[in-house]
Amino acid sequence: MTTQQKIRHVLKHYGTMMAAVIIILIFSLLRPDAFFTLQNLVNISRQISLLVIVAIGATLIMVMEEFDLSLGSLASLGGIIGATLAVKSFPIFFAMLIAVLCCALIGLFSGWLITKFNILSFITTLAMSTIITGIIFAITGGSTVFQGVPKSYRSIGTTMVYGVPLLTIIMILLTVIFWFIMRHTPFGRKLYAIGGNPRAAFVSGIPVKKMKVIAFALCAGLSGLAGVLLSSRLGSAHPSGGDGLFLQAYAAVFLGKTMFRGGVANIWGTLVGSIILGVLANGLTIMQVPTFMQDLLTGCIIILALVLQKIGAKTDD
Amino acid sequence: MLLEIKNLSKQFGNVRALSDLSMYIAPGEVHGLVGENGAGKSTLIKILTGVYQLTSGQLFWNGGEVHINNAADSQALGINVIHQDRNLIPSFNGVENVYLGLQYKKKPWGQVDWKRMNKRVKALADELNIQIDLSLPASMLKPPEQTLIELLRVLMTDCRLLILDEPTASMTDRETNILFRVIRELKNKRTAVLYVTHRMEEIFQLTDRITVLKNGMWVDTVQTKDVNIENLISLMTDNWRSESIDIETQFGEELLKVKNLSSQDGVVNDVSFSVRAGEIAGVFGLGGSGRTETLECIYGNRKIKSGYIELLGEEYVSPTPARSIQKGMAFISEDRRGMALITSLNVRENITLSTIDDYAHFYVLDDKRQKKDSEDKIESLTIVTTGTEQPVDQLSGGNQQKIVFAKALMSQPQVLLCDEPTQAVDIKTRAEIHRLIRELANQGNAIVFVSSDLKEVLDISDTVNVIANGKTKAKLPNHQLSSEQVLSLCYE
Repeated sequence: MTTQQKIRHVLKHYGTMMAAVIIILIFSLLRPDAFFTLQNLVNISRQISLLVIVAIGATLIMVMEEFDLSLGSLASLGGIIGATLAVKSFPIFFAMLIAVLCCALIGLFSGWLITKFNILSFITTLAMSTIITGIIFAITGGSTVFQGVPKSYRSIGTTMVYGVPLLTIIMILLTVIFWFIMRHTPFGRKLYAIGGNPRAAFVSGIPVKKMKVIAFALCAGLSGLAGVLLSSRLGSAHPSGGDGLFLQAYAAVFLGKTMFRGGVANIWGTLVGSIILGVLANGLTIMQVPTFMQDLLTGCIIILALVLQKIGAKTDD
Repeated sequence: MLLEIKNLSKQFGNVRALSDLSMYIAPGEVHGLVGENGAGKSTLIKILTGVYQLTSGQLFWNGGEVHINNAADSQALGINVIHQDRNLIPSFNGVENVYLGLQYKKKPWGQVDWKRMNKRVKALADELNIQIDLSLPASMLKPPEQTLIELLRVLMTDCRLLILDEPTASMTDRETNILFRVIRELKNKRTAVLYVTHRMEEIFQLTDRITVLKNGMWVDTVQTKDVNIENLISLMTDNWRSESIDIETQFGEELLKVKNLSSQDGVVNDVSFSVRAGEIAGVFGLGGSGRTETLECIYGNRKIKSGYIELLGEEYVSPTPARSIQKGMAFISEDRRGMALITSLNVRENITLSTIDDYAHFYVLDDKRQKKDSEDKIESLTIVTTGTEQPVDQLSGGNQQKIVFAKALMSQPQVLLCDEPTQAVDIKTRAEIHRLIRELANQGNAIVFVSSDLKEVLDISDTVNVIANGKTKAKLPNHQLSSEQVLSLCYE
């Protein structure tokens, strides 16, 4: 290996990880007092928890080389349904469960449409996203749901367990569970097979359509869950409260994709991607960088990661 | 002479696709080009159209030497080709497609003058009695109509040599007649035609002279009026007989029986055959005969219109790949990278792909058992790999094909459908695959063996089923069969 090839090799395999470490180092050096404190790290973990949950869902879909553009509006819907039912004095647990199940059903329906009629997931879920926004406005009339949300509804979003936010714990649990599913169960391996070559997967006896429908339902359920948790944390639900998670989630998945050979989406990569985005947002806020600069920097870093990976990828051939 | 080819050779790596070919085509001549699969016909066409560059030899055009480095060079000379797979833009209508790559007619202000263009194309179509709605997008036309649109496009240019590559596949008689009339008209205009087909009657109807290729070599160029169909077939194939495989083996029950099978797209149209335990049933057909599609119908990745399939003594209705595997039938696809392997996965994941559910204990995969079973297969099939975790795209073609076999064998099928199982593999692997297939048959499994290589089919099969135009033509015990016998059935 020449030096150049070595650099490429390192960039390709560790580029994204290095970026994460460098970003953390820079903030730690610039603001050791505010950034690199236990309190702030706990804070970051809570801030990214909802993003990670949505991004895990997006990962399942990206593994199959498909897209779900309705994640954001599904998260909004989840929050709205959960909060509205809580206001109508449903038991909190059931309010949340119903919200998640409704979202999963919508995902199931999208998946059915996509596989039954063999249409593009990209467009189908874009249309579905519009429909969901319509449903949300039908339910709420466009206003935020906050009046009469019981205190108990806020418990999940605000509880601390030995100084660790419950949201962080849920995030870690889901990450481990889905890592395990994707790595160690036939379900996960089949999704990867479908992403690698759907025709070969079908000929090998994998029920491609069924797997896709399940994945879309799971992804929608996870998005709905993130929305419910968001409304629980805030004690209110905004009609477009979850929409912002959508682009962030895909940014995290794409950053994560750059970490592994062949650029395949995977759960660990998605977690690292989410951490990079979370640390950036947190650090830049602490440094009092204006929001527009934050957006600008985040976009540049994502593009940089993709470019670096392509440069690195050339060594393989 | 319009085109003269001198000592042309084309080499791909170690493989000679064409060697030392010399021939000529005169202006106004219809020249037939025939030969079995792999004879070198396609290679020659691709050299003349600039897709491939020749390895050695010379081309002369109207007496002067020319070099065809790309498609533009070829078109500049006046060479046009019409392929089996058509070359139209689906969303463009007939007129737009005819004008593709030609100078559009313009109005004084630079707008496109559609009126004049429509008129020009319509006049040409009328002249040839081609009745197609030219305002329809190409995607709404039937394949033969698309071919006629391509023909119109060719006629708009100053075409000196028209190459037709199996143009009449899927054409009706009416469309064929139009095509033939156009060819005769071109002939009057001193345009030369190089006509490639498997259909003998067309060769005799149309051509002035015929060149026969075999295994990349020139065999003979004859005057059409001097030969008959038997002469021609004997030129195309080494007439040799299969060694009489002593069929002392008693075959068992019929494990797979297919009756009057037709596919929804019409490519398979009334195929019947059966295969017994311990038997290797060869299926031979020329390109486009429906041999691959027949297997796909049985296995379940192509839609069936009608017919009866019986698998292991039970009727098998509307097959799917998953159920086929479950019932004990596996399929080796000819499209290795497209349908058989997942190149982004490693050796272990590919080998255990069809049987992955068997490795789950309460939904959790047993990695160790997967690894062990894969290692067993790597050993028994002598797959050259660094190990179970190597990505399959790093393996050679022969070893990739062995992975495909390994995957199929994991489900312990009693019926194995093999489509071109030895294509693009080295000689050693080829022999190993033949041995493996024979071994599987000896263990009492039923094998369907499809190949476009007649010699291979006759070498390995116990019985030979001949398919032509989507129909079974004959079922012959492979007992001193001659290649001529089989081929003449295909060309009937």
